[in-house]
Amino acid sequence: MKKSKFADLEKKARWVRQTVLEMALCAGAGHVAPAYSCTDILVALYQGGVLRVDPKNPKMKGRDMFILSKGQSCAAQYAILADMGYFPVSELNTYCQKGSKLGGHSESNVVGVEAFTGSLGHGFPIGAGMALAAKMDKKDFVTVVLVGDGELQEGSNWEAAMFASQHKLNNLIVIVDRNKLQAIDFTEEAMGLEPLRGKFEAFGFDVKEVNGHSYDEMIPLFKTFRNRKSSKPLCIIANTTKGKGVSFMENKAIWHFRIPVGDEVEKARKELHGDEYEAKFCKCTKKK
Amino acid sequence: MRADFFQGLHEVLKKDDDVVLLTSDTGALVLDDVRKTIASRCINVGIAELNMISVAAGLALCGKTVYVYAIIPFVTLRCFEHYRVDVCATNLNVKAIGVGAGLDYCTLGPTHHAHEDIAVMRTLPGLTILSPSDEVTGKLFAKLSYDIPGPVYVRLERYGQPLVYPNAKEEDFKKGLNVLRKGNGSAVIIATGKMVVTALKAAETLKKQHSIDVSVVDLYRIKPLNTELMIDVINQSKEIFTLEEHSIIGGVGSIISDLLVENRISKPLRKIGLPDDYCRRYGTRDYLHGLIGIDAENVTKIVKNELGK
Repeated sequence: MKKSKFADLEKKARWVRQTVLEMALCAGAGHVAPAYSCTDILVALYQGGVLRVDPKNPKMKGRDMFILSKGQSCAAQYAILADMGYFPVSELNTYCQKGSKLGGHSESNVVGVEAFTGSLGHGFPIGAGMALAAKMDKKDFVTVVLVGDGELQEGSNWEAAMFASQHKLNNLIVIVDRNKLQAIDFTEEAMGLEPLRGKFEAFGFDVKEVNGHSYDEMIPLFKTFRNRKSSKPLCIIANTTKGKGVSFMENKAIWHFRIPVGDEVEKARKELHGDEYEAKFCKCTKKK
Repeated sequence: MRADFFQGLHEVLKKDDDVVLLTSDTGALVLDDVRKTIASRCINVGIAELNMISVAAGLALCGKTVYVYAIIPFVTLRCFEHYRVDVCATNLNVKAIGVGAGLDYCTLGPTHHAHEDIAVMRTLPGLTILSPSDEVTGKLFAKLSYDIPGPVYVRLERYGQPLVYPNAKEEDFKKGLNVLRKGNGSAVIIATGKMVVTALKAAETLKKQHSIDVSVVDLYRIKPLNTELMIDVINQSKEIFTLEEHSIIGGVGSIISDLLVENRISKPLRKIGLPDDYCRRYGTRDYLHGLIGIDAENVTKIVKNELGK
């Protein structure tokens, strides 16, 4: 089989998914499947040479802004930030536990996290404000917001979409994690989003679609963020699978907030680890 | 008062290029001048308050000081959760400017009345709540809100006559409250906003017609409360009255009630404010105040009757 030119990123993503599982097992809490849905997008952005950020200088002037609006997926973001050196990997062991800074939603007290999220429908308009600030100050940083698809049912997103279009915020990129599931239902069964592309286009966005698990598709597109010719903001619909990487979690609403128990733990580990297991993160030894 | 506030804010905008004003399609004559001269930093974001607050947070996260302006229910209640999460939880320099305290929008009905805003907003950690009482403080509080780090909510009136502070300066508003009239210790009326004028009128009448000499306090900073100074004021009076154009639930009356309980101070407290109800009657503000019983005449009667018990 031909080796992907992004094998290093795929390896990192595998480690992130392994780590997220162990974090959740140790904590007995967390959103695993939502994190798996966007793990590849996050790895592509942070570790694929897309975002202009510096772990050694987290508040670097002119850095790109990234907002994880679907803050419940923060375990994957935290694993990546730790891997990049924003904070020690050992801190991941404290996720959702007594005295930890690392909670179940993206916390701006955590080094490397730009916005406090968890309440849905906030990241998009916050990102629009950041993109406007860049325009006002004539700075070339870009603002990337990752939103969940179910989250788009919140009206504030569409207020932000109108605003971004009105102010020609072509430095704002909204990536939709389109896994077609929300907490307890498929999106189209709860409050349908389709035609999603048409909606964003009607709101004045350029729209691209990618496979949100394919680095071959994501990386070339993501690397165009800073040099966009269009005056419109950009929406990327990233088609994903919720729970990606663990077969029994994939595309099942029940896994939105479930943590594996019993035999599920080893089954999940086996599927994620394959033949290798990186010792960078301690395996959870808690008895369930 | 609103015009005076925006004059003050115009000065702030001229001095600091990092100050931005967002409005959700709420105007003011004087705002037109500001928008003409500083167009790039005065943005009508449209009728979309949730977006306005979060956009303000995004701007503030990039170093801006952002004023967000609308009629009170829309810049507080409508977007409360965005203010809570995006602004206050991160302690950002976003200043909410609400116009139309209490029944200010007397002809527009309950959708535009503001009788829950203090109760709701004061639950936000780190938020400063300012309540000017006249045109002079309206203008001064534009600068004061800029000088206070972190989130601020300013509860404005549309108008602010007669003047309470004809010759005031910003340094007169550091303590959080001012004793405007010192009585003989029988009672103190603690008022805020427009009701400060009502309290002063009532105090005058009580003195002239009934020989009752009450103190009057302007609680211009509702949060954080200067507890030490307020306890000192309360200790000098036998009975306490609070007067506000806000629900008697959760406003200044409740703040003082909490203060008394927490400090084991046992004194009679009478809360005068808007009843626990929607005002579905229309007319002038004075008419509504008379109807509800919070005009100077009724306040005078309430104080006299309470003190006569």
